[in-house]
Amino acid sequence: MKKKISAVLLASLILATGCSSKAPDTTASPTTATGGDKTETKAETKEVTVWAWDKNFNIAAMKLAQEAYAKDHPDVKINIVEYAQDDIIQKLNTGLNSGTTTGLPNVVLIEDYRAQSFLKAYPDSFQDLSSSIKASDFADYKIGPTSLNGKQYGVPFDSGVAGLYVRTDYLEQAGYKVDDMKNIDWQKFIEIGKAVKAKTGKDMLTQDPNDLGLIRMMIQSAGSWYLKSDGATPDLKDNAALKDAFQTYKELMNANIVKITSDWNAFVAGFNSGDVATVPTGNWITPSVKAKADQAGKWAVVPFPKLKNTSSSVNASNLGGSSWYVLNNPGKEAAADFLAKTLGSDVNLYQKLVTDIGVIGTLKAAASGDAYSKADDYFGGQKVISDFANWTTQIPKVNYGMHTYAIEDILKVEMQNYLKGTELDKVLNDAQSQAEAQVK
Amino acid sequence: MNFTMHSRAKLTGWLFVSLAVILICVFYFYPMIQALLLSFKTGAGANLHFNGISNYKRLFSDKTLLTAVQNTFLYLIVQVPIMIILAMIISVLLNDSKLRFKSFFRTAIFLPCVTSLVAYSVVFKYLFGNDGLVNMLLTKLHLIAQPIQWISDPFWAKITIIIAITWRWTGYNMIFFLSSLQNIDYSIYEAARIDGASAVKQFISITVPMLKPIVLFTSITSTIGTLQLFDEVMNITKGGPGNATLSISQYIYNLSFKYTPDFGYAATVSYSVVAMIVVLSVLQIKLAGDK
Repeated sequence: MKKKISAVLLASLILATGCSSKAPDTTASPTTATGGDKTETKAETKEVTVWAWDKNFNIAAMKLAQEAYAKDHPDVKINIVEYAQDDIIQKLNTGLNSGTTTGLPNVVLIEDYRAQSFLKAYPDSFQDLSSSIKASDFADYKIGPTSLNGKQYGVPFDSGVAGLYVRTDYLEQAGYKVDDMKNIDWQKFIEIGKAVKAKTGKDMLTQDPNDLGLIRMMIQSAGSWYLKSDGATPDLKDNAALKDAFQTYKELMNANIVKITSDWNAFVAGFNSGDVATVPTGNWITPSVKAKADQAGKWAVVPFPKLKNTSSSVNASNLGGSSWYVLNNPGKEAAADFLAKTLGSDVNLYQKLVTDIGVIGTLKAAASGDAYSKADDYFGGQKVISDFANWTTQIPKVNYGMHTYAIEDILKVEMQNYLKGTELDKVLNDAQSQAEAQVK
Repeated sequence: MNFTMHSRAKLTGWLFVSLAVILICVFYFYPMIQALLLSFKTGAGANLHFNGISNYKRLFSDKTLLTAVQNTFLYLIVQVPIMIILAMIISVLLNDSKLRFKSFFRTAIFLPCVTSLVAYSVVFKYLFGNDGLVNMLLTKLHLIAQPIQWISDPFWAKITIIIAITWRWTGYNMIFFLSSLQNIDYSIYEAARIDGASAVKQFISITVPMLKPIVLFTSITSTIGTLQLFDEVMNITKGGPGNATLSISQYIYNLSFKYTPDFGYAATVSYSVVAMIVVLSVLQIKLAGDK
């Protein structure tokens, strides 16, 4: 009897102590004995764990970096783990918030739109890389999202530079040439779109009403964003570029040249099946466009259209794009060194990234390499990579701030209202007041 | 100390349940209290600080939450009655002693609830896509001229969600009705038939009243389930287009993970769901339950 009682007591005691070791409030120091042990073991074996999404793009790029690094550093083992982006965000948030670093990686890929919210929400959780890489080596517009208070936290990675992919054969049937699509504004785009629709019956582009990527690209082309340059104050009500973008979007939707899709697969199917004549999006779509071998030679890429009524708008913009971050946990030195010597500076690696995967990096020095000026037969011999690299330098720099997706969810609703007939000023006023309540 | 036989037995009893009590305290009550404390804090990510009842004030001026609550209640008001009536009718049909292949039908109708929530949602998303099977069939049958935008139109997206949850959960509720039907004495029906009551009359006057406790049970569990609706909305429409199908749980997810992490306010919204469930369950018991 006594034995039983003591066994129960012992079990409950273990349970109680096991759960009472409260996690520290901030993630500043990984404290406790376990943290210390980890440092020692990590120092010996030097393992670096990397989390990223997209097997054909980011993971493939990381594998090339891993190969390049392994030549000179056989003692470091790089583990690459693939997760969906949503899973990474979820795991990072819960991990960093709970204050334990166990189970988190050393290197993680974060989308530029979200980077500031991570850097600000979890201060001291990310490693300052200012001494490992030179921020000025990378495209200017990438520095905003990847740095905070003058410290460089991220290794700027893919460019996300946007372009307008066009089907040359459809254009010709409608009586236009590729040159007619170069450096145009959206009104011209709509005009050509109507002609294409009339002659070929094909829609000009696909749009998912639940994704305002097009609006994002439009306003960034004018150097504007949902937030003011402080990255915190919502800038919707009196934002001229946003107004122009909303009007353009409505015109586009009402022109009967848009095929509505509901998700990513339908989006890709839209151009793979030849249903649409153009794809305005980030350059990371290139592998998906090229997936259809029988459409080789029928595609070209032209500069992104600009906003007609906004004078600051240029024919270059950005969509997505992400960068690598080192977490401030045991093993950070090895991780920082790995990144610094590969994606942080290795020009040769960037040539391989372009030729093997089609990743356009943002390391300035890399753009002068041979691989960047190679003609691409799929795009009728166009030197797409060098074109993209050229547009990368023209992308207006904006501060994405912390709240891109929160504000976008508000705008999606207001966009629906606007399309249904509510006045634009009212729509943006409502959005402004909601955003102010949301982001305070 | 001198324990009597009785108090010793009592102590042993307490010791036996103590483990369970501790487990419940640690894994249920502790997180609940932590979440309650969290609901009074604001700040992004790990920079949390107490901020009084400001989160609770924000609840009442939050337009997105209002949309989410409206959507969720629409699902509740439209879908739960449809599902429960459907479950009742199917269970009565399947309870017919003359029906053949009974177990096959029962299994077939119950099968949806053993499929994974995510898997079936993804399948539904493809079925109801603009180029999906449903639109293809309807067009082939000349029932519609233009494909219905099941997922990208605000109205139809709600219908799609309702169809999906009805498909998934009707079989589950049917099982409760079936088990209850088997407890109704057959002689009651026999007597009714001798008195000349029609099948419909029997259903309304005997079956439905006899099933009342199960109707109450299934409607309370379905209400709680609907208020916590997440997987279907997340996987089929992601809350869109423009929050047209957003559920409260998905809003909580968005606040925690999609936007700048705001765990404090997310906890506040979670507690508002608790409050709604309590109120609705009490109402249902008061309206339908026996005293």
